[in-house]
Amino acid sequence: MTQSKPLPTPTPETQPYWDSCKSHAMKLPRCKSCSQFHFYPRALCPHCWSMDLEWVTASGKGKIYSYVISHRPAPGFQDDVPYIIGVVELDEGVRLMTNIVGVIPEPKNIWVGMDVSVEYEDVSETITLPTYKPI
Amino acid sequence: MGVLTGKTAIVGVGETTYYRDAGRTTLSLGVEAIRNAVKDAGLELSDIDGMTSYQAGGDSHGSNEMAQSLGMQLNYSLDIMGGGSSTEALVAHAAGLLAGGYCNNIVIFRSMRGRTGKRMGGQTPSGPVPAVAINTDGEALRIGVTTPAQNFGIAAMRYFKEYGAGTKQLAAVAMTHRYHATLNPRAFFYKKPLTLEDYISARWVSKPFRLFDCCLEMDVACAFVMTRKEMAYDLKHPPIYILGGSARTMSESPAYNPGRLNTAVHHHASNWASRRWMGMSGVTHKDIDTASFYDAFTFTPLIQMEGYGFVDHGEAGFWYEEGHGRLDARMPVNTSGSHLSEGYTHGIQMVVEMARQLRGRADCSTDACPDWEKGIHCFDREKGCRQVKKYGTQDSLPEVGFCGGWGSPTTSSSLVLSKFSSSN
Ligand SMILES: [Zn+2]
Repeated sequence: MTQSKPLPTPTPETQPYWDSCKSHAMKLPRCKSCSQFHFYPRALCPHCWSMDLEWVTASGKGKIYSYVISHRPAPGFQDDVPYIIGVVELDEGVRLMTNIVGVIPEPKNIWVGMDVSVEYEDVSETITLPTYKPI
Repeated sequence: MGVLTGKTAIVGVGETTYYRDAGRTTLSLGVEAIRNAVKDAGLELSDIDGMTSYQAGGDSHGSNEMAQSLGMQLNYSLDIMGGGSSTEALVAHAAGLLAGGYCNNIVIFRSMRGRTGKRMGGQTPSGPVPAVAINTDGEALRIGVTTPAQNFGIAAMRYFKEYGAGTKQLAAVAMTHRYHATLNPRAFFYKKPLTLEDYISARWVSKPFRLFDCCLEMDVACAFVMTRKEMAYDLKHPPIYILGGSARTMSESPAYNPGRLNTAVHHHASNWASRRWMGMSGVTHKDIDTASFYDAFTFTPLIQMEGYGFVDHGEAGFWYEEGHGRLDARMPVNTSGSHLSEGYTHGIQMVVEMARQLRGRADCSTDACPDWEKGIHCFDREKGCRQVKKYGTQDSLPEVGFCGGWGSPTTSSSLVLSKFSSSN
């Protein structure tokens, strides 16, 4: 039996993030007190510990902070190897972990600092995953 | 110095064979390792009244089961969750328990079927959560992140970009640890050297890591015995004292950048422990005769050496390449071959090895040093002697050792051991 890829399970704190991905317009949490973004979503601002937060639509642009090319499959990824796992630093100043898509997974095609933009992959009725593609 | 510096000591060490497939339970492996460590101390099993261990997500038997199986009655037992960085933290914890009188002779063990049971590097559903904990509601699994090789690969790729290190420096780590394993009869790669060509031609696991960048998963158990200083004098071997260290210092994950520490990939937890271990133990880098760094990957010793302040950021790979970590060089590191070439134990074997080296009783092949058990060594590497000597001397033994545990951004521990109970 081929194993399917596991799905994220939203929590009350992260639901607005997943909802925004589902509508293909990612929102990120920002502190109303110190105006800084943070990620992942959480109960308070890790910069100033204010609990007064808001959701702001992201630009969708960022740069590759680092990446790895996985030659061995995680569960459900038997048909995907090799695939790229990247940490992307978004224009908003936060980083997130994602897959880098739309490029042949060889080091000559991908580099630290490369400009990328978000792509949305609707993987189930409720979950849409953000991935990033070189611009 | 810490109030408990030199007040407790490691007095016995032991392990099982390093197996590819033990065909045994973690209970069976554990009791053998504990028995060997207690016998090595010159104690009876009935002298042991404390036991503590670590395991990863229920992959082993605990202290109570081991003690039951050994027919012991304990006054203290505790099992914690964790892999790397656990051993050194449990030593800190045991020092406090012994000083406080909760128990008198305590065993610390790790028993695992790392090869045939739960594999950290295995791409299986039973695998661990990612070592760098980059996980939003399980999103890491959905993007294909399950193994430490992937997480540390990401860290390594950025490190290379920042400092210009790369394949040659990783190879130097693999070849240094392998050289030490070739002299260690217990090591999986005993008498099996690694050439640069072997290293480069091996298959990719997670680019930038090839096969020999990754540790050697094994079925194995290791254990050691700690006691108070005043109990330690009259036992079988010279006691190896606990001078200090750091215990599970933490930092934030560089994958999120929440901002307060502005974490970069090379700013992992050990960066926040570099002054702490020296303050606690009363020694500095120049006093360290030999060291070990948690080598889950060739990359992880680099960021620990730098984080704990042995060299500047970006320099550790070149330090290895220049040969400073080999036997007879300035600071021999990972002298058993450790995770990359002896076998993977989640760190505990490095403390076992350090105790043996500081006693002056490295277990060389009997061809090379038939009387190693009495501390008599030939120091001839060609013949197979693997006992560390103090740098620049003919045959003086090392006095102070450093064990760095784990190189993850979010947890790191360290331990300073010495044949003397005071750093003065
Ligand atoms: Zn704030």
